[in-house]
Amino acid sequence: MTLVDAQLLADLHFWYAREARLLDERRYDLWLETVDDAIRYQVPTRYLTAQADITDFGAWTVDRELAQASDVLLIDDDHAGISKRIERLQSGMAWAEMPPSITRRIVSNIEPGEAQEDGGIEVFSALLAFKSRGPDERSFLTAQRRDLLLPADGDFRLRRRLVIIDDTVLMGENLSIVL
Amino acid sequence: MDARHDLIERSVAPDASWIRPDIFSDEALYRLEQERIFGRCWLLLGHESQLPEPGSFFRTHMGEEPVLVTRTLEGEVRAFLNVCRHRGAQLCHEDRGVAKSFNCRYHGWAYACDGKLLAAPGEKQLYYGELDREEWGLIRVAQVESYKGLVFGNFDPDAPPLADYLGNMAWYLDILLDRRAGGTELLGVQRWRIPANWKIVAENHVGDEYHVGFTHGSQLTRPIESRAAPAPLAREIRPELGHGIGVDIIPEDLSPGERGGFDEEVNEYLRSIAGEMTERLGEMRPRLFPIHGLVFPTLGMVPILNSIRVIHPKGPNEIELWSYCMVDRDAPKRVKEILVQRSVSAFGPAGSFEQDDSANWTGVTRNTAGHQARKHRLNLSMGLGHEGEVDGLRGEVGLTASDINQRGFYLRWVQEMTGGQA
Repeated sequence: MTLVDAQLLADLHFWYAREARLLDERRYDLWLETVDDAIRYQVPTRYLTAQADITDFGAWTVDRELAQASDVLLIDDDHAGISKRIERLQSGMAWAEMPPSITRRIVSNIEPGEAQEDGGIEVFSALLAFKSRGPDERSFLTAQRRDLLLPADGDFRLRRRLVIIDDTVLMGENLSIVL
Repeated sequence: MDARHDLIERSVAPDASWIRPDIFSDEALYRLEQERIFGRCWLLLGHESQLPEPGSFFRTHMGEEPVLVTRTLEGEVRAFLNVCRHRGAQLCHEDRGVAKSFNCRYHGWAYACDGKLLAAPGEKQLYYGELDREEWGLIRVAQVESYKGLVFGNFDPDAPPLADYLGNMAWYLDILLDRRAGGTELLGVQRWRIPANWKIVAENHVGDEYHVGFTHGSQLTRPIESRAAPAPLAREIRPELGHGIGVDIIPEDLSPGERGGFDEEVNEYLRSIAGEMTERLGEMRPRLFPIHGLVFPTLGMVPILNSIRVIHPKGPNEIELWSYCMVDRDAPKRVKEILVQRSVSAFGPAGSFEQDDSANWTGVTRNTAGHQARKHRLNLSMGLGHEGEVDGLRGEVGLTASDINQRGFYLRWVQEMTGGQA
């Protein structure tokens, strides 16, 4: 096993807790400040897939379940896209979030991955996201996040996020919140 | 006339200028829809591009029925109930893939891609060689037909051919499906559950231009007071009862790309295929910009954003929406990417438009289910008596935003539910 820098892990825990709180408190402008201009934020569709050889269990990977190059995604935002998503929430006419969902994002299983050539850090984490607009509109989802964070001025900026939802059919009526 | 017939007639005005909310929540009506609508109408299964090679398959639904669609080793498209003939177990569990055969996990009966029973364990010793393989093949969907890439199925062996079912709608579908020699392809599928009755979603697709100005206010740049006004030259067209399409007639001084507000790379592509489009579709149809539409009962379209969808009913109060991106197969890769990203930003569960649609659909379903709300009629009168014809267009036309197609949808619903009686 590789030893982990305890300070790095502490920094990451702090960063993810703060990010979740900013989103749960709907402080979107502050959250946007943590997002890099070159962000790519994607949520792929997911499929139950067949194996060519049913005895080849090694082939049954998570990546094979995810959208392939020719598949549509659920979300595929660059910085302009994600900014529009936030503007929409603040437009006064985003009915799916008026009144806004009450949310709780719980982030755990934070695991630093490989350091990248440009100094970025790949980070895996698990997300439990709850939202409610009263008893008729409640949903949970869980997902893996695969992020790329860039160290910047003693902080991190979010350069890439892939949110792999643990469902093939999304069970909430929409994806109206940032994951 | 049985009680169900009374309930059907009572639910929709003779001219469909109103409906009653029972139509959304009544359990008996819903059960009857499975038989008379989903059991008799042509339903979208998918696209030939989803079955690229012999043995390719995908799962879908026709109404509530689980269906397996395959390409046989001979290259034909077939569809079956995804049910093992032996004891009714679910046969295929994967969403899509390639397979030489399908083996049931329960007792091991195996079927070929064309649905024939290949083998059952113990055929000689346990069945004494008396099992008739011909008799125990998979249950075929009675009719499967393609229309320019789109694959449809029908459980009714006596249903009229797909071309008759589409009628004049095919002339409009060609604007999307037949504008290039290479045809189209479907890319992936977004799937999500919405606690809404399927007809609310269908009527929204078939003709509801009116909602755009308010429901989608967060996405429009025009000031709010002008949002209710329909865009000039927009038309709600009823090619056949139940089918509907909304089009803009592109003004002479605008190119299709400018009308659609596309990126320059897409505009350049559209310019490059303008000649081919005119050659294939004539002068009139390349000037029509399809915005939304529905092939009765559940094939929805938002062509302005490259979205094709099927509304799968899951009980009176729930649907599973399957939304695909449809692009020209021979478009450059970069053009496809731009169109797909544009589509996803607006449509689908996280789309800036569709999030607010689903909020409306669930609200109607939930809040009209009560004893008191069900006593009162809902209004579908917009433009009643003001339908007309437009030179060069096929079908009846609502000259502005109009409920013409919602009325057509519910009149067709009555027709199908009463077994074709007027």
